[in-house]
Amino acid sequence: MSELAGRPAGHSQPLLELDHLSLSFGGLRALAELDLYVDDKEIVSVIGPNGAGKSTVFNVISGVYEPTEGDVRLGGQSIAGKQPHKITQLGIARTFQSLRLFLNMSVKENVKSATYGHTKATPVESILRLPRARREEREVDALAEEVLSFFGQRLTGYRWNQPAYVLSYANRRRLEIARALATKPRLLMLDEPAAGMNPKETHEVTELIGRLRDERGLAILVIEHDMHVVQGISDRVIALDHGVKIAEGSYRSVADHPAVVEAYLGHDPEALAED
Amino acid sequence: MTEFIQTIVNGLTTGCLYALIALGYTMVYGVLKLLNFAHGDVYMVGAFIGYFVIHWFGGPTALSIPVPLLLLMMFALAAVGCGLLGMAMERFAYRPLRDAPRIAPLITALGISFMLENTVLLLFGGFTRSYQTESFISVSSGIHLGGVTIDTVQIMIIVFSVLMMLGLQQIVHRTTLGKSMRAVASDREAAEMLGINVNRTIALTFFIGSAMAGVAGVMSGLAFDQITNTIGFLAGLKAFTAAVVGGIGSVGGAMIGGIVIGLCESFSLSYVSTEYSDLIVFGILILVMLIRPQGIFGRPPLQKV
Amino acid sequence: MSGPAEDSEPPSIGVDHWVARSGERRDQGSGWRKWLARAEARIGWWQRLALAAGLGLIVGQFLTNVNLQTVAFNSLLYAMLALGLNIAVGWAGLLDLSYIAFFGFGAYGYAVFSSTAFGTDGSGGAHLPAIESIPIVLVAAGVVGVGIGLIALRLSGDYLAIVTLFVGQAFMEVVNNVDPGTLGGVNGLYGLDPLHSFGGKIESPLGFYYLALVMTVALAGILHLLDTSRTGRAWRALRDDPLAASAMTIPVKKLKVMAFSFGAVVGALAGTLFAAQQDTVFPTNFTANVLILIYACLVLGGVGSIAGAVMGGLVVTIGEQLLSSPNDAGYLFYGLILIALVTRIRPWRKLAAVLIGVVAVGFAAHAIVSAVSSSAVAGSPGSGGWIGSAVRDYVIVPANPATYGNILYVVLICALVAIVRMHGNRRLLAVIPTVYIAACCWEARLIVNPSITTQIMIGAILIVTMAARPQGLLGTPRVETVQP
Repeated sequence: MSELAGRPAGHSQPLLELDHLSLSFGGLRALAELDLYVDDKEIVSVIGPNGAGKSTVFNVISGVYEPTEGDVRLGGQSIAGKQPHKITQLGIARTFQSLRLFLNMSVKENVKSATYGHTKATPVESILRLPRARREEREVDALAEEVLSFFGQRLTGYRWNQPAYVLSYANRRRLEIARALATKPRLLMLDEPAAGMNPKETHEVTELIGRLRDERGLAILVIEHDMHVVQGISDRVIALDHGVKIAEGSYRSVADHPAVVEAYLGHDPEALAED
Repeated sequence: MTEFIQTIVNGLTTGCLYALIALGYTMVYGVLKLLNFAHGDVYMVGAFIGYFVIHWFGGPTALSIPVPLLLLMMFALAAVGCGLLGMAMERFAYRPLRDAPRIAPLITALGISFMLENTVLLLFGGFTRSYQTESFISVSSGIHLGGVTIDTVQIMIIVFSVLMMLGLQQIVHRTTLGKSMRAVASDREAAEMLGINVNRTIALTFFIGSAMAGVAGVMSGLAFDQITNTIGFLAGLKAFTAAVVGGIGSVGGAMIGGIVIGLCESFSLSYVSTEYSDLIVFGILILVMLIRPQGIFGRPPLQKV
Repeated sequence: MSGPAEDSEPPSIGVDHWVARSGERRDQGSGWRKWLARAEARIGWWQRLALAAGLGLIVGQFLTNVNLQTVAFNSLLYAMLALGLNIAVGWAGLLDLSYIAFFGFGAYGYAVFSSTAFGTDGSGGAHLPAIESIPIVLVAAGVVGVGIGLIALRLSGDYLAIVTLFVGQAFMEVVNNVDPGTLGGVNGLYGLDPLHSFGGKIESPLGFYYLALVMTVALAGILHLLDTSRTGRAWRALRDDPLAASAMTIPVKKLKVMAFSFGAVVGALAGTLFAAQQDTVFPTNFTANVLILIYACLVLGGVGSIAGAVMGGLVVTIGEQLLSSPNDAGYLFYGLILIALVTRIRPWRKLAAVLIGVVAVGFAAHAIVSAVSSSAVAGSPGSGGWIGSAVRDYVIVPANPATYGNILYVVLICALVAIVRMHGNRRLLAVIPTVYIAACCWEARLIVNPSITTQIMIGAILIVTMAARPQGLLGTPRVETVQP
């Protein structure tokens, strides 16, 4: 069994578990012996300077990369090395740091497309509009409307049929989250959800993440640079640098941790020399 | 045994031709990430230029200038003509589509290839033209070792090709232009921000690649005698195979790949079957794609998410 | 109009519906475009299909001779081919250049089952009724399509294109070289049975036309049902961003293979129809030239659009037909020039000036040249009919026009390239001599060799469409994510 820093004894099985995870690209060590866990209904933030490996963690979890060593477990089951679409079907959904919407599809279609893995109608059934295909289409449609309505008036009504490329930046970010929600995940991974947003939008995002956990019962893993957001949402914060975990705990304890300060602000030999 | 060596000699000759054409493919792919379908037809245009130079100077049986000078003129005019053609293609067809979806330049390339083939057909007719090389370069000249013949044309092709390839290596690794080419191939935006004139670099890359294809066209006319407006298609496909086998984007790879494909084709012509030699080359491509998609000298692509 | 009740802020973009939809209104255009868009919104897809089918039936009444019937059949055949190509290229975004091989596969498949190919020494053979042979061929095509798809999985964009092109070539080689007893070799297979089953058979060109009409309409319907299903959505997602698609539960690999396979089946279906109508199959029916023709149909009509694929097939085939007859070719040529000028030159005054200039320059040049040298205008324009008479004193055609025409052709290409680089009034001025040169070149050279001219125009269609209007005539403009 691995040691998981900061986890109280007698803890029940976490939803997501990274166990001694390592990933190397040729000679470059992107992740080194990373241990990480996320419990049900928990919001965990991952912070760290650029290049620390945060998006890489997402990519390993979601199956884009296969770990060189170690394991990734969802609900106790190993998912390392599985295909991305299978991992999403098992319950992990993600958004992307630089938006990756299906820009030429409508808002509703973007969301509906994400339901493919949970529907079973074959092409023949679809063509002949057999009962199962029709029923699934109705359900998918209803699901899309329900998920989009989570964002209030922003993505409803006439917006449903607009192509995604007409949406504003903030709405695009919301749509990407909506699309991820349509996969009925247990764990939602948000990659810099507040990037490029003004203070008002950032505040909305903070509320939104809380609502995602409270209203939809999701566990959420967030990569974020904006410390206001991190502070506002996190049950726990994990700090990475150069692919290694350097701190874990509450926001307060991590933010003041000397290793974290050094990672962000750099090594100050003079200050250290004074001690 | 003699057949074996003869096969190797023939394979080297065609291999050099494929290498020259493959170089154009690989260089353009390096800087633009575009496979220029029309490149094979540039080779065809070069062959035609060479043909018309012969006839401008009196025709194969009644040349008005000495043969070495004729050859020089043929190579030079084909190189310049095709180089300019390549530059024009880039400037007017591909440059506007630089940021368009991948499918657009590919379809445009198909269109250009089609237009080139049919323009030549319109202007010069579809009948096979013959260089009649034997009229001005004696077939019996060349090297004879045992039963193996390496005739003058073959020697010339191999020597000239090697010289050109060495020259290209020098350009790519020793000159500023070469450095610019490598920079643009690596990251176009960054190169632009560093002050490299990207448009000029790409234009010159097209020029060099197309010029080499043009010279290859003349050589093919000299070696194989018959030219039509459709020779570019198959030669282009095989040269592309060579570029991929060697590692697309790698200059050394294109050279090695060309030789490899030339030898394979030669051996399958001699020992396996004449009709299916193309299929065998195709089979090699599939094999490489499945086993080692980056080719001999290529690097597997990294995708940043 | 303000937003939701609980939001007491003043209307703002994103909340105010009218403002937010201003982009849509602008995109709809004005005048006839807006009318067309409104009509499209009111008439449902199925009603439009029914209208098209009805139109096809009416057209059938006007096909009074075999020639017309064959042309109509061919245009529907190419519409079907374009529809099949659209699956892989338009919906899944895979540049499939092997498609022609499936057309050939279907044709040869039907041929071997409907001739003496499986017999001995020119007698016997399978001679299956169509209702048996066609499904076998289609299933086989689907399986081969899966095979190609599996190979294509490892490839992207450019590699995919070349490898699939090679596959198409391979098919030709095999068919050409395999024992002539089985597949006919270079001479092909001939003497095929007419399409027969259930006691009835279709032999006449008109019969084939109606059959093709039924099949095209049915195919369009089936493809629409597929497009609006989960599979269609998944394909479109895959085309936009394969990485994101796979992160959203879409099995990208399986869908790519499916796209190849479905396209293969449609191509093969068209092939069986072709073989039955032609009565023979030759290897030369399935060259790369034909593949590019199909691409031109799809690209011109609109990649990704069912209506576009059909329209492209019709337009290109009919255009090709027009070009082959000297009396009718002029309609296409001069018509195209006129359309290009009318749609691109905006204030009508400038348009009128250019048109007048074109006419004036032409007649003036002809008059001057004929005064100087009578042999220079001794030839007659290639066009027949009233067009030919009209341009006799307009274009300059010498007695031996071939070389002259060639030179003009080269000059024309250079002029077109130069025009693209110009702007404003200079460009309009340059258009005038260019159009005249084009007319002279046309009458002197291009119209004389219609088959080559057709090929040239096909190539031009591909180049011009991608440069000027990548979405084709009926497609929707796409936005590309600039991602690796």
